[in-house]
Parts: sequence; C-alpha cells; structure tokens
Amino acid sequence: MSEERQRPEDAPKGIYGPDGEPIFFAEPGVDRMMAVIMNLASELWVERERYLPLDSDRDAEAKAFIDRVFAPLRERKE
Amino acid sequence: MTLELQHAMKATPTADEAARGRFVSGIRSFILNDLAADLGHAYQTRAAPKFRAANGHDPKTSGDAHKALRGDPAFNIYSSMRVQAQKMVWASVSAGVERDAKRLAELEAQTAGQPGSVQLKPDFIPPRNASAVDVHLMPGSYTGGEGMAAGAVYDRGLAVFSMGLMGSNLDDIGLSMAAYIKRRYPEFAPTAMLDTGCTIGHNSLPWKHAYPEAKLTAIDVAAPGLRYGSTRAKLQGVEADFVQMASDELDFPDASFDLVFSSMFLHELPKKVRAKTIAEAYRVLRPGGLMLHMELPPNGQMAPFEAFYLDWDSYYNNEPYYKGYRDEDPKAVCESGGFGADDYFQFVVPSIGIYGDEAVTQAATSDAAHAVGAETTGRLAEGVMWFGFGAWKR
Ligand SMILES: C[S@@+](CC[C@H](N)C(=O)[O-])C[C@H]1O[C@@H](n2cnc3c(N)ncnc32)[C@H](O)[C@@H]1O
Repeated sequence: MSEERQRPEDAPKGIYGPDGEPIFFAEPGVDRMMAVIMNLASELWVERERYLPLDSDRDAEAKAFIDRVFAPLRERKE
Repeated sequence: MTLELQHAMKATPTADEAARGRFVSGIRSFILNDLAADLGHAYQTRAAPKFRAANGHDPKTSGDAHKALRGDPAFNIYSSMRVQAQKMVWASVSAGVERDAKRLAELEAQTAGQPGSVQLKPDFIPPRNASAVDVHLMPGSYTGGEGMAAGAVYDRGLAVFSMGLMGSNLDDIGLSMAAYIKRRYPEFAPTAMLDTGCTIGHNSLPWKHAYPEAKLTAIDVAAPGLRYGSTRAKLQGVEADFVQMASDELDFPDASFDLVFSSMFLHELPKKVRAKTIAEAYRVLRPGGLMLHMELPPNGQMAPFEAFYLDWDSYYNNEPYYKGYRDEDPKAVCESGGFGADDYFQFVVPSIGIYGDEAVTQAATSDAAHAVGAETTGRLAEGVMWFGFGAWKR
C-alpha cells in the first residue's frame, strides 16, 4: 500500500495508532493479542479438521468449536 | 456456511486451506450475529445512557453512536475481532490463488474466442481510491499483484467473507435487484445495459439473464478484475464486454444506454467523483432509461445505532468514503446529476437466494415494503435485505 492514508473526513482523533492500525482496547497490546488468539484458534481448527470423519458436518463442527472456544467473550449467554 | 463457487475458476483448496476458510466464515458468523447482538445490547444498556448523562441528550447521529460506543468492552471485542477476521479472509485464499495462477491463465486462453470481450488500456492510471488504499483491508487493493490475481483473490475472498449469504456465485445482489426491477416495471425492456464499478462482474451477469436480448457492458478502473471477470463470464456462458474505464469519465456517446446500474460501488468513490458519476449516467442514458444503484442505506433514514453499525466499516475496514456517501441524501444526489425530483425512487428488496422468488415479487408489487428496515438492511447477517435507489430519465 502507499504511504498516503485515506481516512473518513470525520474520523475521531486517537482511533488509530502510530502504525495506522485501529486501536480499541485501552492497552493497545490487547488488540494484537486478540489477533494472536484468533490465529491460534484457526490453526488449532485446521489440525482438528484433519481428524474428523469424512462424513461429519464440518460446518456444524466448526461452529460448535468456535462457540465453545470464544464463549467467554459473550456478554449474554443464550 | 462455507461457500463453494459454482464456476470453473473457483478455488481448489487443499484440505488445510478449506479448513482455514471454514474457520474464517465461522468466526465471522459468530462476530456478526452473536457479538453483534451483545453490541446492540451494550449500546442500549450502557453506552447510550452514559452518553445521555454526559451530553444531556440521546445520541442523535451515527457519529454520536460511535462516540458512545468507543471504549465499551462489547465494542472493543466486536471491533478488534472483526478487523482480524477481515485480514484472515484475504490471508485464507492467497496461497491458493498463487498456486492456481497458471490454471487461471489457461482458462483465459481457452475461452479467448468465445462471445464477449475485455478491453484494457495500457496507459490508464487507476484513481487512488481504487489503488492507493487497501480497500476493505484487501492487500494490494483492486489493482495490485500479478496478472489476474487480484480478481481471483476478490472472488475467493468474498466467498469466505459472504458465509453463504451472497449467492452461489456471489450474485445475489444482482439477482435480487434484476428480479425486483423486472417485476415492478414489467414494461421496461432495455437493449443496452452498463454496469459501473463491476470488479469481476459477479453482479453484472444476472442482468444479462434477466434481459437476454440486451447488450451488457461492464466497466471498472482495475484491470485484474476485468480480465478475470471476462473469463469468468465466458465460462458461465454469459456474453458481456468488460472495459477499463472510469465511471466519472465515460467514453460513450450521449444517450447510448437504457440502463446504467451499479452494486456496492458509490460508497467507494470520493464525493466529487460520485457526483460526476451520477451526471455521467444521466448523460449516457436514453430518455426513458433507468439509473439504478444497489447500496448501503442512507444514514438520514436510520436510527443512530443502526447507522453507525454500518458506518463501522468506514473507520475500521478501510472504506474512507463510505461514511461520506451514507451521509448524503440519495435523492438530492440524483437531482444534482440532472434527474427530476419526481423521477427518484428507492426500495428494499429481500435477498432472493434466502427468501425466494415470492418474497421479491411481493416487495415489487406492494408499496408498503419500500421503507428502509433499520434493523437488517445492508447487514450481512441473518435476514439479508438489499437497499436500492434510482431514477428514470425523462
Ligand atoms: C466494492 S467494488 C464493486 C463491487 C461490485 N460491483 C459488486 O457488485 O459487488 C468497487 C469497484 O469500483 C472500482 N472503481 C473505483 N473507482 C472507480 C471509478 N471511478 N470508475 C469505475 N470503477 C471504479 C474498483 O476498482 C472496484 O472494483
């Protein structure tokens, strides 16, 4: 990408870090940790899928895996 | 949930790549349904009351809702995960596209003689809105990479991104829009149609199915998608001419089309370019012709939270012009392009792939269905509805 950054004209101050990435958590490292956690979960799922029986419903298994692993992030339990 | 495209240029993923794509579609579904519900609840119970206490009034605009949500834990989790999931979308398809480069080039060569064409202009310089920003975090944007790669990345990435909600060839918007227009205006019979900002033509092709007698031209500023899209169209047996051209400087004579349309396009244009695009559409339309745009619904017709929910992409998904577009009044934009105030119309059409033919017919034949449904319109989650607006040229 180019050095130039195009941003919405009314972007509030302070929502991007010095590297141009958006910042959400008060401690910006947490945003990066979140990305690491998602990458790890994805890698783990790839390993998991290798051992699933051929006739399994992989989409449903993936959904159950994601719901289980990320459940602590939900505010309202269903 | 995971979508396998139904054409010959589709991905041929290794087992690991398929698993990775499945995870990304799944995590997006978790974010856009489950975490989005938490976000809505957090807005009502925490963010909006806090805003009210500090400002003496409820959030009134998308910008107010944004301010209210910044710093809320549910907003932080939703947003941080959505950004990473978007990066994972593109990452999940890049190796497969690289591996398939030769096969895609062979398909292009094999179909070279089939009806349809692609015209690229070697000296054409794509505008910076399409080349100098990684739009929706897509590395290299529409113009980067080798050969047709950017087109293939877009097609395969969108397949992962769509979670199966955008049609089997990512053509649900085109299918829904064309079906709506055909049913609402049964006497309309175009002979020449122009899609502006077609990318890979996925939503252009349904219009040729709807009006097989009409000639279809699809333009874009980015060469990789045009090359890829032309081959993709030929492989599906659809005749179309793909041309490298900017929507704000159309190289067509006045009054040369009956239909000028676009999908998810106007929000990627800087304001001045967008205004010129509408004026150019007016110029190249014949009297009695129709300009039609499928787009995100305007902020002026939505409640603050719902408005910001869509505007999120502008700030955090590299869509710099999206908020400016959504703040505009589409009717006023059409009028400033030359269309008459009485010739404007807008509508919401249910996704034909999800709700079926009958639902589209119902929307097209009842005026009651024309309000912007604040809840789900424009969102890619359960309950997909598409917003469209347009104007007739007298
Ligand atoms: C989000 S994509 C459009 C998607 C597509 N129409 C669909 O139905 O999903 C936006 C496209 O607009 C193109 N574009 C940007 N500026 C343009 C301009 N001035 N004229 C024509 N195309 C342009 C980009 O290259 C990109 O392919």
